[in-house]
Amino acid sequence: MDLGELDRDSTSRCRLNSPVPAVCRKEPCVLGVDEAGRGPVLGPMVYAICYCPLSRLAHLEALKVADSKTLSESERDRLFVKMEEDGDFVGWALDVLSPNLISTSMLGRVKYNLNSLSHDTATGLVQYALDQGVKVAQVFVDTVGPPETYQERLQGRFPGIEVTVKAKADALYPVVSAASICAKVARDQAVKNWHFVEKLQDLDADYGSGYPNDPKTKAWLRKHVEPVFGFPQFVRFSWRTAQSILEKEAEGVLWEDSPTGDQEGSGRIMSYFSKGPRTHPHLPHRYFQERGLESATTF
Amino acid sequence: MDCGNGARARQHVFLLPEYLKDASKKMKSGLMFVKLVNPCSGEGTIYLFNMCLQQLFEIKIFKEKHHSWFINQSVQSGGLLHFATPMDPLFLLLHYLRKADKEGKFQPLEQVVVDDMFPNCILLLKLPDLEKLLRHVTEEKEIDKKKYYKYSKEKTIKWLEIKVHQTVSALKTNNVNVSARVQATAFFSGDQVSSDKEEDYIRYAHGLISDYIPKELSDDLSKYLKLPEPSASLPNPPSKKVKLSDEPVEAKEDYTKFNRKDWKTEKKNSKMTAAQKALAKVDKSGMRSIDSFFATKNKKIGKI
Amino acid sequence: MESSDEAAVEKCRVHLRPGTLCDAARATLHLLPCEVLVNGPAPVERFFTPAIRQGTDGLEVSFRGRRLRGEEVVVPPGLEGYVMVMEEKGEGVGKDFSEGSSNLREEQELAAPPEALERDFDRFMGATASFSRFTLWGLETIPGPDAKVRGALTWPGLAAAIHAQVPED
Repeated sequence: MDLGELDRDSTSRCRLNSPVPAVCRKEPCVLGVDEAGRGPVLGPMVYAICYCPLSRLAHLEALKVADSKTLSESERDRLFVKMEEDGDFVGWALDVLSPNLISTSMLGRVKYNLNSLSHDTATGLVQYALDQGVKVAQVFVDTVGPPETYQERLQGRFPGIEVTVKAKADALYPVVSAASICAKVARDQAVKNWHFVEKLQDLDADYGSGYPNDPKTKAWLRKHVEPVFGFPQFVRFSWRTAQSILEKEAEGVLWEDSPTGDQEGSGRIMSYFSKGPRTHPHLPHRYFQERGLESATTF
Repeated sequence: MDCGNGARARQHVFLLPEYLKDASKKMKSGLMFVKLVNPCSGEGTIYLFNMCLQQLFEIKIFKEKHHSWFINQSVQSGGLLHFATPMDPLFLLLHYLRKADKEGKFQPLEQVVVDDMFPNCILLLKLPDLEKLLRHVTEEKEIDKKKYYKYSKEKTIKWLEIKVHQTVSALKTNNVNVSARVQATAFFSGDQVSSDKEEDYIRYAHGLISDYIPKELSDDLSKYLKLPEPSASLPNPPSKKVKLSDEPVEAKEDYTKFNRKDWKTEKKNSKMTAAQKALAKVDKSGMRSIDSFFATKNKKIGKI
Repeated sequence: MESSDEAAVEKCRVHLRPGTLCDAARATLHLLPCEVLVNGPAPVERFFTPAIRQGTDGLEVSFRGRRLRGEEVVVPPGLEGYVMVMEEKGEGVGKDFSEGSSNLREEQELAAPPEALERDFDRFMGATASFSRFTLWGLETIPGPDAKVRGALTWPGLAAAIHAQVPED
């Protein structure tokens, strides 16, 4: 899998895909959607689709694809190679969402939560397959939350396709298992070869599973806190684990949309900017007020 | 690097007239900040003297909430930007001339420009061409080759009127929006609404000049300029940007456990916000303002 | 007056060392759309600068998981930017304040000014860096022409007119 584009710029997202098998443009196909790396506080989240003609589903099953979580890394790699060998009837596509994209989306002025981001990414990939001429007849999607609303949304978006959203779909439908393998292989590779944007010294690659509850991951986060910048962009700043470490171990940063504390609290912060109450209520002319200018009584 | 021993010291970001750099090549001293009385507010205010160029500068600070500087390999809180711009010293001298006028007699300048609170005002006497300048705002008498001055309100008002007109032309060339109407559109974009009336310009210029003179004189000038008196002379509130919604749109079913609702509640329960806690940790010694340097030492002197 | 004892007499002068204006090396400045509650060293070159991207319209970067968009602001013509730092008491006396200025200081001490502008209770400041441009960052949007600081940058132009000396009639 060539994640070169991600290596070149790991601050955004990148899409990767196999060639579309000719047969998938002719025959009705089944398409599975799954994700890898949704929970970890480190690294990208990868969304994957995998598809094949309904008539060849048995061949895909014969590869003995299974939920990627039940497979070892080497088994996943082996299965991915097999799928590549079967490129005459199996196609796949990926969307790699960098941790920076996830952080900035979730922490945006208008919050773009992980579910919306996930749903939009999945939808985008299905649309991508359609745009490539894949004759998608059925879509199976693995989901984390309640599947009903998600299913309704997807079905509404793709009325001509039979959509099934189900928890544990990655274990139930081979085409979703195949997608989960693609996603997981990509995520593992991306994490292993992560191209840090920052110029870091003595980087410790021993960050464990990347899951917030992994003591190794937590220790890695604590070790790599930079008081002003927080973490490298490899970390999802929007994760509560990351936030609480920053609150304790990094310098405070206030944004114009930061939740302000009680009045008393903000008053204390203000008193740090302007020393004491002004005795003269003289307001500068509107020209100065509009430009944030005031006479220097203190520097 | 720039953050050697002074790493924690407050860094002041300034914009100075370029020519100060060339002038400073020939100087060893004489470039100094002092506190003088602000002729409008009466507060102590910082000015800059260049004794070599014999020039006075006003210091304005750009200050907007939620800003910081990165300066090379350092961070400076506050994000302030200081401007030093040449200032007409007559505005500062006027304060003393008007005060001395209460005695109703002609006086030599060095008797007029005295200040127990701001003794550095005597530096004003070192500025060039004071005699010429003072003619704009005083009557003078010469006895035994010594000049004696008395404040003239009539002359001052006329002088201020010229100031207003100078300012009006600059407002026009700089496309400053002087309209009394608060516009939703940009203030600085330059697509100036052409319907701004001459009266708007004069009122605006009068308002700007009023930031350099006492209220009483501002009122007199307003009458002289025949500006409508009422609430219009109050400063208009500055335009405010439309604030975007703060309401977070949050995931209901994230298994990432990043649930902002909990996070917020937790914050409220703890006595200080993260930022405040961080603030408490801050080494404030590096944050002393220049003002504190002006004041502390002198308080002691005052008590001796 | 009784109260004069209590009132702070603003006697102190803060001398800006002229030589430092000539010696100041160029610095890179970023004006951020957030308050970082600390002053001090920060590895800007390692964490921030390499993450800056040239987007389709303007610059992009992230700070603390938030997206910033920025643009270059050039200091208006006729002005020069400086970063200044107050010297600690006693600092700069008998030691170099900045490279190359030691000769200057010696001369200064030899040739005492006719009237002492510098008194022992005065403070000293020096320019540590200069700049002619900086990068202005906005939170998720490019600050654009309506940014307050851009308005502030027009002040020296207007100030010149307000403070131009009135010609004699």
